[in-house]
Amino acid sequence: MENKKKQGKLKRILAKRGMGQVITVTIGLVALVIVFALLNPYFLTGRNISNLLRQIAPTLLTGIGQSYVLITGNIDLSIGSVVGMSCMTSATLMTKGVNPWVAVIITYLACLLIGLLNGKLISKAKLPAFIATLGTMTIARGIAQIVNNNYNTDSIGEAAEGFMNFFYYGKTLGLFNTIWITIVIWLVFNFLLSRTRTGRHLYAVGSNMHAAHLSGVNISSTVTKAYLVSAFCSATVGLITTATSGMGTMDAGNGYELYAVAASVIGGVSTLGGQGILLGTVIGASVWGVLQNGLQFAGAPVAIRNIVIGVIVIITVLLDLVVRQNKKVGTGKVGTGKTTSIGLKHKA
Amino acid sequence: MKRKLLGVVLCIVLLLSLVGYASGASKYRIFLITMDQMDQHWVTVDAGAKKAVSELGNVTYRWLAPDVKDDAKQIESINNAIAGGADAILLAANGPTAVTSALREATAAGVKIIYVDSPADYPGEQTLATDNEAAGNKAGQELKKALVNKGITSGKLGVVNVNAATASVVQRENGFRAAFKGTAFQILETQYSEGDAARSKDIAANYITQGVVGIFGANEGCTVGTGNAIKEAGGKVIGIGFDKSNTILQLIKEGHLLATMAQNPDVMGYKGIKAAVAVLEGKSPGAAYVDTGVSVLTKDTL
Amino acid sequence: MDEYIVELEKISKSFPGVKALDQVSFTLKSGEVLGLLGENGAGKSTLMKILSGVYTKDEGTMKILGKKVSHLSPVTAQRMGIATINQELHLCDHLTVAQNIFLGRELIAKGILSDKDMNAEARKILEKFEIEINPETLVGDLSVSKQQLVEIARALSIHAKILIMDEPTSALTSKEINNLFAIIKRLKAQGCGIVYISHRLEELQHIVDRVMILRDGKQITSMDFAATTLSEIISYMVGREITEKYPRVKEKVGKKIFEVKNLNAGRMVRDINLSLYEGEILGIAGLMGAGRTETTRAIFGADPKESGQIFIEGEEVKIQRPLDAIKAGLVLVPEDRAKNGLCTALSVRENIALPNLDIIASQWGVVNPKKENEIVEESVQNFDIKMAGVEARADSLSGGNQQKVIVSKWLARNSKVVMFDEPTRGIDVASKVEIYEIMNDLKRQGIGVLFVSSELPEILGISDRILVMADGKITKELDVKDATQDVILTSATKFEKKID
Repeated sequence: MENKKKQGKLKRILAKRGMGQVITVTIGLVALVIVFALLNPYFLTGRNISNLLRQIAPTLLTGIGQSYVLITGNIDLSIGSVVGMSCMTSATLMTKGVNPWVAVIITYLACLLIGLLNGKLISKAKLPAFIATLGTMTIARGIAQIVNNNYNTDSIGEAAEGFMNFFYYGKTLGLFNTIWITIVIWLVFNFLLSRTRTGRHLYAVGSNMHAAHLSGVNISSTVTKAYLVSAFCSATVGLITTATSGMGTMDAGNGYELYAVAASVIGGVSTLGGQGILLGTVIGASVWGVLQNGLQFAGAPVAIRNIVIGVIVIITVLLDLVVRQNKKVGTGKVGTGKTTSIGLKHKA
Repeated sequence: MKRKLLGVVLCIVLLLSLVGYASGASKYRIFLITMDQMDQHWVTVDAGAKKAVSELGNVTYRWLAPDVKDDAKQIESINNAIAGGADAILLAANGPTAVTSALREATAAGVKIIYVDSPADYPGEQTLATDNEAAGNKAGQELKKALVNKGITSGKLGVVNVNAATASVVQRENGFRAAFKGTAFQILETQYSEGDAARSKDIAANYITQGVVGIFGANEGCTVGTGNAIKEAGGKVIGIGFDKSNTILQLIKEGHLLATMAQNPDVMGYKGIKAAVAVLEGKSPGAAYVDTGVSVLTKDTL
Repeated sequence: MDEYIVELEKISKSFPGVKALDQVSFTLKSGEVLGLLGENGAGKSTLMKILSGVYTKDEGTMKILGKKVSHLSPVTAQRMGIATINQELHLCDHLTVAQNIFLGRELIAKGILSDKDMNAEARKILEKFEIEINPETLVGDLSVSKQQLVEIARALSIHAKILIMDEPTSALTSKEINNLFAIIKRLKAQGCGIVYISHRLEELQHIVDRVMILRDGKQITSMDFAATTLSEIISYMVGREITEKYPRVKEKVGKKIFEVKNLNAGRMVRDINLSLYEGEILGIAGLMGAGRTETTRAIFGADPKESGQIFIEGEEVKIQRPLDAIKAGLVLVPEDRAKNGLCTALSVRENIALPNLDIIASQWGVVNPKKENEIVEESVQNFDIKMAGVEARADSLSGGNQQKVIVSKWLARNSKVVMFDEPTRGIDVASKVEIYEIMNDLKRQGIGVLFVSSELPEILGISDRILVMADGKITKELDVKDATQDVILTSATKFEKKID
C-alpha cells in the first residue's frame, strides 16, 4: 500500500506540466558532463565541481528573475544593467566608508525601484516590455557609471571582508555560501510560483491576459511583482560580483539578460508566456554553466566554443518543440485552430 | 502672458548658445574618439588630454565615444566630429582597417589625425601608444624569471584575454607567448572574458584547477580576476597582468600578483593634444611613433 | 450537372491516441449543397481538412473531379479548385481587403506588386456578389461580420469548383445571410459543389439539398434533405432523442435581486437601466454591434464607465474592476471563450481554480491542494464535464465542455447574479441543451440570470423577459409571451445606421 502511494506520487510529479522538457534536458546535461569528464580528468575533481556550482549561481539567479517575467508573457532586458548598478552602488558606498550591510540594503532598495519602474511602465503606461526594459537597461547602466563618476571603484577593503565571505568566498558545511544563498532564493521563489495565489496569477496573466482580467486577477500588480522578483535577483548577483572582485566595475553584468533567457528557455520556460517551471531553469542554468566550464577544460578554441554553445541551445529547444507538438495533436481534439504568434506579447 | 515670457527666455538661451559657439570659433577644435566610454583606460586618456587643454588655453576639446566598442558606432563618432567642425581628432582605432572610410572623409575635410593607443592602417600625423607586443613580451620575461627562480622550468601556463578582435590585447598576448618559445612551458588555449572581472576570475580558477604554474591577464579586468583567483586558491601559482588600478596594486602588495605592466594612457592624451596643436600651428609634431611606455610595478617598486 | 466531383471512399485518420475518422465515405455532386452535420468532435473538420489538403489520410481513396488523387497539399488542392471558408477567420488585420483576397497569389504588373490591379479585381468580385465592402479598407478596421464576408470573397475569387463552408453565418446579420444564400444559389447554378457545415440547423432548409451525418468519427447516414425532418437529423447526430430543444421551466417570480441604473460607458452603452428578479431569466436580444457585450463588461467592471449604479439584493455595490464584481457575487461568462473566457494553455483544474483562489488559498496566499481538488472535482461532477482528466489543457476540450468549465468556475462560489454572453455560440446541439439546463437550474435556485444572445429562437425559447438593444440603448422591454421574432427584429434595427 505504501509503495503504491509512493508510485502514485512519483507519477503525479512526472506528469506535472513542464516536467517533460526538464527530463529531456537533464538527460542532455548528464551526457554533457560525461563527455567533458572523459575529455579532461580535471573536470570531475572536487575543486572544479565546487567552483562549477558557484559559477552557475549568477546564471541561475538571473534565470529565476527572467523566468518569472517570461511566464507573464513579458521580458526583462534590464537584468544585466541592474547587476552592474548593484555592483557599482554597493562598492562605491563601501569605499566611501559606509557599513557593508547598510550598503547592501541601500543597493537592494535602489534596484527594487528599477523593478517597480519596469512593472508600472509595462502595466500602467502600457509600454511593450521590450521597449520599457530597453529603456531601464540604459538608465541602470547610466546609474552604474555615474555613481562613482565614471570610474571603477577602488578596492572595497578589509572592512568588507565579512561581506565578501558571506556572498562569495566563505563556505558553510563544505559548500560555498553563494551556493547556499542561491538554494534558499530558489526555494523561496519556487514555492511562491508553484504553491501560492500569486504564482497562479503569474501563469494566468501569461497564458491569457484577457481571461485572467475577467477572472478578477489584478494584472498590473501581478506583472509588477514579476519585475520586482527579477530586480531582486539581479541585485543579488551584483552583490555577489562586488564580493568576487572586491571592487565595483561599471561593465559588470553586461549581457546577463540574454544568458538568463537562455537558461530559462533551455529549461522549458516559454517566451510566449504561461509555461515553464523553475526546476527547468536550474537545469538550464546548469547546462549553460557546464558548457562554459567544460569547454575551457576541453581546450576548445573560442570560435568552436561559441558555435558549440549556440548549437546545443538550439537543439534542446527544438527537441522540446518536437516532443510537445506530438503530444498536443494526440489529445484528440484538433485544437481551436488558433494561429500562434511568434515573439513577445504586447501587454495591453 | 506665460507663453510670451517662455518665448523670450528661449530666445535669450538661443542667443547665448550662439555667442558661446561663436566665441569658440577662434580656438582649435579637437575631439578625442576612443573605443568606448567605460574602460578606465580611456577615462585616463581623457584626463591627460584635459590637462593639456587647460595648459594650452587655445583648444576647444570634447571626448566622443560610443557606449560600447563597435565599428559602425566609431565611424559615426568620427563623422560627428567632422560635422562638428573638428580641426583635429585623437583616435584610438577599433582596428587597423575598421574605420578607414571615415578617416578618408576626415582627411578630405582637412581634419588632422593623431592616433592614441591603437593606430589604424591609414596615415596619421603621429601615433602615441604602448608598444603592446614589447610590453607583453616583457611581462612574459618577468614571469619566466620568477618561475625559474623558484626552480620551475616547465609546466602549464594560462592566458586570460579580452577578445580576439582588439589589436592591442592580441599583440600583448603574442608578445607574451614569444617569451616562452623554445622553453618547456606549455601555454593552454586562451580563454576570453571581454574584460569582465568576475568572468576572468572563473576562468583563472579553472586554470588553477588544471594545475597551471602561471597566469597572464591581458588587461585590467582580466588581471583583477586572475589576482582574486590566485588569492582564493592560496598556493603557488604566479600571476602577472596589465594596467593598474587600486585593486590590482592591492593584490600585488598582498603578494597574490607578481607584477603588472602599467601603461601611461594619461601621457597618450596629454602628449596627443600637444602634438595635435603643433601640427595645426604648422609645426612638426616630432617622431612618427611615440612609445608611451610601460612600467613594471612590483611589490618592491610600489 | 449531376456528376460526382468528389468521391472519398473509406477514409480513416488517426492521431496519437484517437481515431478521428473510421472508414468514412463521402460524395459530392456538382451543383449540389451538402450539409455536413455532427456534434463537435464528430470528425467533420478532420474530413474537410483531408479534402483540402491540410491533413493526409491514413487509409482510403480520393477522387477529385474524376481524377484519382493520392497526395494532396493545400497548394495543390487550391489549384484543383478546392476552397475553404474557415470558421476562425484567417485574415491579416494589418492588410487591406484586396491584399487579403490575393494573399499568396498577388497580382504583378511589370515585375512589381500591383495594388491597383488587385484593388480593381477585388472590387469586381465584391460587386459581382453584392458584398458592400471597400477593397482598400484595412481588414482590422472591419466588423466581424464584414470580415467573414471578406473570407467568403476570397474563396469566391479563386473560382472554386468545390467550396467548403464552415459556420459561414456565425457572425453575419440576417440581411448578409440572405445575401450569402443568394450567392450560394448562384454558385450552384454554375455547377459548383458546396459542403455546408453549420450548427444553425434552421438555416439548412433554405439551401441544403442533401445531408450527411457523422458521429464519433463514423458515417451514420446520408439522405436527401427533403426526405427528413430536423428532429430526425438531431437524433441521428446525438444518437438519442432530444425531446425538448429549448427546455423551459416555470418558476415563481420573487423579489428584485439585481438592478442597474443610469449606466453610461461610451457610445455603446447609453443610459442603461435594467432589473432582474428571482426566478426569471432575462434575455437580451439585438444585432451584432448593439452594445450588449459592452454593457455586460461595463456592469462587470471590465471596462471603465462614466456613470452608473449597481444594486445587488437592494444594496449598492461599487464596481471599478472585475474583482469588485466577483466579490459582490456578480459574475460574467464572456463572449469568445478562447479569447476571454479561458486560459487555454492551462489545465482545466487551473482554470476552475483561478477566480476561486481566495477560497482555496490560506490568508498568506498558499494554495491548499486538497481544497483545490475538492472544488474542482465537485465542479466537474456537477456539470458533467467531459475531458481527458483535470490536468488536460483547457483547449483540448470541445466547445460545449469548455463553456461548462467557465460556468462551473463561477458557480463554485456563491454567485448571486450570472451574466451569460453568447454562451452557446459554436456549440453542438446536445451541449446547448445542457447549458440551457444549467441556466434553468440557476433560475430555480433563485440566482439571477442575464442572457445575451444573437440567436432569436434561443432567446424566445429560454427567457422569461426580454430586453432588446440597438446602438447602445435599450429599445424595448417585453414579456416572452408578447414576443415574436418580428417584434424583436424591428426593435433591434431601430437605430441601425448604414456603415462600412
